[in-house]
Amino acid sequence: MSKRKMFFKMITASLMRRRSRMLVALLAIAVGGTILSGLITIYRDVPRQMGAQMRNYGANMIFVPGEADTKLSLELIDKAVSFIDPGNLIGVTPYRYETVRIHEQPVMVAATNFEGARATSPYWLIEGEWPSAKDEILVGQNIADTLGLKVGTTTAVVYTDAEDDSNTPNFGIDMKVSGILETGGSEEEYVYMSLEDMADLTGESADIERTGESGRIDLAELSISASGDVLSSYIEKIETNVPEVSPRLVKRVTASETAVLTKLQSLVLLVTIVVLLLTMICVATTMNAVVTERRKEIGLRKALGASDNSIVAEFMGEGLLLGLIGGILGVILGFAFAQYVSREVFSSSISFPALLVPVTIIVSILVTGLACYFPVRSATEVDPALVLKGE
Amino acid sequence: MSLLELHGISKIYGDLKALDNINFNIDNGEWVAIMGPSGSGKSTMMNIIGCMDKPTLGQVLLDGKDISKLTKKELTEIRRDKIGLIFQQFHLVNYLTAVENVMVAQYYHSIPDEQEALEALERVGLKERAYHLPSQLSGGEQQRVCIARALINHPEIVLADEPTGNLDEANENIVLDIFQQLHKEGTTLIVVTHDPEVGDVAQRVITLEHGKITRDALNESFGK
Amino acid sequence: MFFRMIWGAFTRQKRKMLMISLTIALGASLATAMLNVMLDVGDKINQELKTYGANITVVPKETAALQNLYELEDENSSSKAYLREDELGKIKTIFWAFNIVDFAPFIDTQVTLADGSAAKMVGTWFNHHMDLPTGESLDAGVQSLRSWWDVTSGTWLNEQSEGSENACMVGTQLAKQQGYKAGDTLTVSTQYGTKNLNIAGIFDAGGEEDSQIYSTLHTVQDLCDAKGYVSSIEVSALTTPDNELAAKAAKDPNSLTIAQYELWYCTAYVSSISYQIQEVITDSVASPVRQVAESEGAIMEKTELLMVLITILSLIGSALGITNLVTASVMERSQELGLMKALGATDGSITFLVLTEVMITAVIGGVIGYFMGFGFAQIIGHTVFSSAIEMKTMVIPLVAVLVALVTLVGSIPAINMLMRLRPAEVLHGR
Repeated sequence: MSKRKMFFKMITASLMRRRSRMLVALLAIAVGGTILSGLITIYRDVPRQMGAQMRNYGANMIFVPGEADTKLSLELIDKAVSFIDPGNLIGVTPYRYETVRIHEQPVMVAATNFEGARATSPYWLIEGEWPSAKDEILVGQNIADTLGLKVGTTTAVVYTDAEDDSNTPNFGIDMKVSGILETGGSEEEYVYMSLEDMADLTGESADIERTGESGRIDLAELSISASGDVLSSYIEKIETNVPEVSPRLVKRVTASETAVLTKLQSLVLLVTIVVLLLTMICVATTMNAVVTERRKEIGLRKALGASDNSIVAEFMGEGLLLGLIGGILGVILGFAFAQYVSREVFSSSISFPALLVPVTIIVSILVTGLACYFPVRSATEVDPALVLKGE
Repeated sequence: MSLLELHGISKIYGDLKALDNINFNIDNGEWVAIMGPSGSGKSTMMNIIGCMDKPTLGQVLLDGKDISKLTKKELTEIRRDKIGLIFQQFHLVNYLTAVENVMVAQYYHSIPDEQEALEALERVGLKERAYHLPSQLSGGEQQRVCIARALINHPEIVLADEPTGNLDEANENIVLDIFQQLHKEGTTLIVVTHDPEVGDVAQRVITLEHGKITRDALNESFGK
Repeated sequence: MFFRMIWGAFTRQKRKMLMISLTIALGASLATAMLNVMLDVGDKINQELKTYGANITVVPKETAALQNLYELEDENSSSKAYLREDELGKIKTIFWAFNIVDFAPFIDTQVTLADGSAAKMVGTWFNHHMDLPTGESLDAGVQSLRSWWDVTSGTWLNEQSEGSENACMVGTQLAKQQGYKAGDTLTVSTQYGTKNLNIAGIFDAGGEEDSQIYSTLHTVQDLCDAKGYVSSIEVSALTTPDNELAAKAAKDPNSLTIAQYELWYCTAYVSSISYQIQEVITDSVASPVRQVAESEGAIMEKTELLMVLITILSLIGSALGITNLVTASVMERSQELGLMKALGATDGSITFLVLTEVMITAVIGGVIGYFMGFGFAQIIGHTVFSSAIEMKTMVIPLVAVLVALVTLVGSIPAINMLMRLRPAEVLHGR
């Protein structure tokens, strides 16, 4: 049998036959590895996950026409949106504002795409239903109170063209209130309907069918899950490529989002560092105890003629093997933990950085190795005669 | 030239003289028992001969080489190459099997050889127990593993410290029979003991009291 | 004799006991730090989320919609509903006054500029200082409430300085349109008068405010003949995320039972704070700004849950560390304990001896750990939030129970082993 084979035989025998003790040490290392890989994964993913939560605040970018007295069209908006990474885009909502009369009172109408509004304004609270069928409208709380509109009421909506002073008869269409919108903000002072219903109301439908969509959109709200820098780069691209569209950041949302996310990430970072530091020390003390426990065995080996170096090599071999197994376990458990946290907290899955696999294993090996090295070194200083006497 | 020569050996711990000017020689092939009551300096003597400790004064010559001035590392090498140790408390590595325990000594000395280790166990009558862990062996069996381990590297001196101290009479006799066998094969045996029965079977008995040799004589009943 | 043995174990095995204490201390400090941070993180993040601005708006009861509608017909209609300026201080007297971080009143009117064009002018507090009836004082206003505004040139209007009555701030777009610079004087007029205002600064708000003029409350009150009145109030309050109870109460507080009502009233839900504001401001409607309140709730919940999970993981980690070491250190002493058995000690007395030793170490370690954890928590608080983490007293019993439990559990395998020790085997070194 070769010397190397015997070396491995001794190490594995020590690990296998002293199972309960080694399991304890292994568990400590594995927990250390779990914390390392799990927390770092979470730390890396916090901005993305929390950023998505932040999108609850609604739009963080708006498109307005590039020049005064012009309007946007859906085509232009689509063109501008094409410069935004579709993975980051949560929603785009066009808005067209017009004045109509309901119960002979002038009311501001925002014509929009409800699919988009649901994505960009997740904080809207609807009493009733979102409009889904033709000629259904959403009425702001304030308007509903003033005009006495209730969910399910059908009311005539009359369009008056402000620029048209001729006495052409105004269009009136009966529309059903499918829901009342509550936000606590200025949205409560609008009536919302779909762009198609608006086109019907203004009598443009026929024109559109003939000539295609002309630009009548006043602005578009966008909700993009990205940091301030990325948003700025999108703005630059759109400004140079689609000059008809002027993208702007909703500063109130973006500035605050950056501030809060930075705090959150540094919180998780610091917590990770503190937890890691303490865990590493715990792993080190455990390994220290495991080695110290075997001083007698070290004395015996010395009495049998083992040199200090070969004892150090054996114990380190054992420690490193433990570190390796513990590290691998740690990677697996850490990923499971991060995944669990992500599911529980953010209801989405997490991406595990591949680089973390070798890093966790190497750190586990290093910490265990170092934690073994010093007590083994000091144990080899021991006089074999004293150890064997059982003193 | 004798195999082992002690010249004016003293070991002093503070005010206590554990050994006081000890002189004797041991020749190749001798079977010596070092006897004496507790505190007579037996263990100190054993540690010095076993290269596990150094005397305060005096010279120890092993194979004509002075080992009392060597560094710890050099002592380790001498111990590994020339001395086989047998302990009262056996001191087996508890997670290694009998044969593996023997191979540990080979491992530190040269190259582990399972066949040779098995043969060594066969000599002490333990071949069929070779793959048992120490916890599965009786005290006598453990001591025999310990003897096999001490012999595996063909040491010039086999040094036993109270080898029968933890054994019942039946096992004691087995161990002493093995010593007889070793002596016949020409192995130099030094046995430190306070058990007169063990001393009686030795070829030569050195008696220590208060760190001094009070008697050093051949055993007349030896070989009978 | 018992105490002599314990004393002996401590004084003569200093290194080992120190090591156990240290591990327990580390574990306890981790638990302390994490629990404290976890319990306080909600408040801290809440404070950070205040950068999103007000989460409650207060408007007069006669609906805001009406005035808006009338405005469409007649920009200078006088039939506006107002809130009373002298009642503003009362906001800081409600049950949850301590949770009111900031608030500012607003009054707005259309003004005509020197070149004849129209602009919206808003009167508000910038950094208003007020002494409350309770003896406290408060600085509130848009300077903190609109934390995202950038003053691109000039400075924030300082209400405490001389001549602040005749100062204003102008939004970037209006400034660009009209060529205003900080330090210029602009003239605004309405049917009630004309004022020459000194531009203290130009701000970039990234919203509709960019084409408005902001001035002090009194300046704008003069311009629209509404002395002593404000048209709306924005309040920024620290709130607890809404739950079912809060949702039910928000619809109609009268639908609650008395016990539910008290629980709701005494919890800092955004709806209960709104309700309390409504109680102190005559003829007002206070409603949560859903955009802010809703998101705040979601983010705080997520952050707290995240911290809870991380805390649990680290508690497991520290528990394992302690258990390991306790087990190892007791097992190491099998020989000594076997000897005691040989001398006639019963299993019970040995177990008691070992447990006493371990518990003393645990107490020492736990106390040291608590203070270390205190330090770690403060480091986290100051680095991340620039403010101290509040040390909750409930953490002390939690950590104590945790350490005691973990140490006891850690001793179980060791004690189990002690029970099985046979003195002869131990003494003969098997």
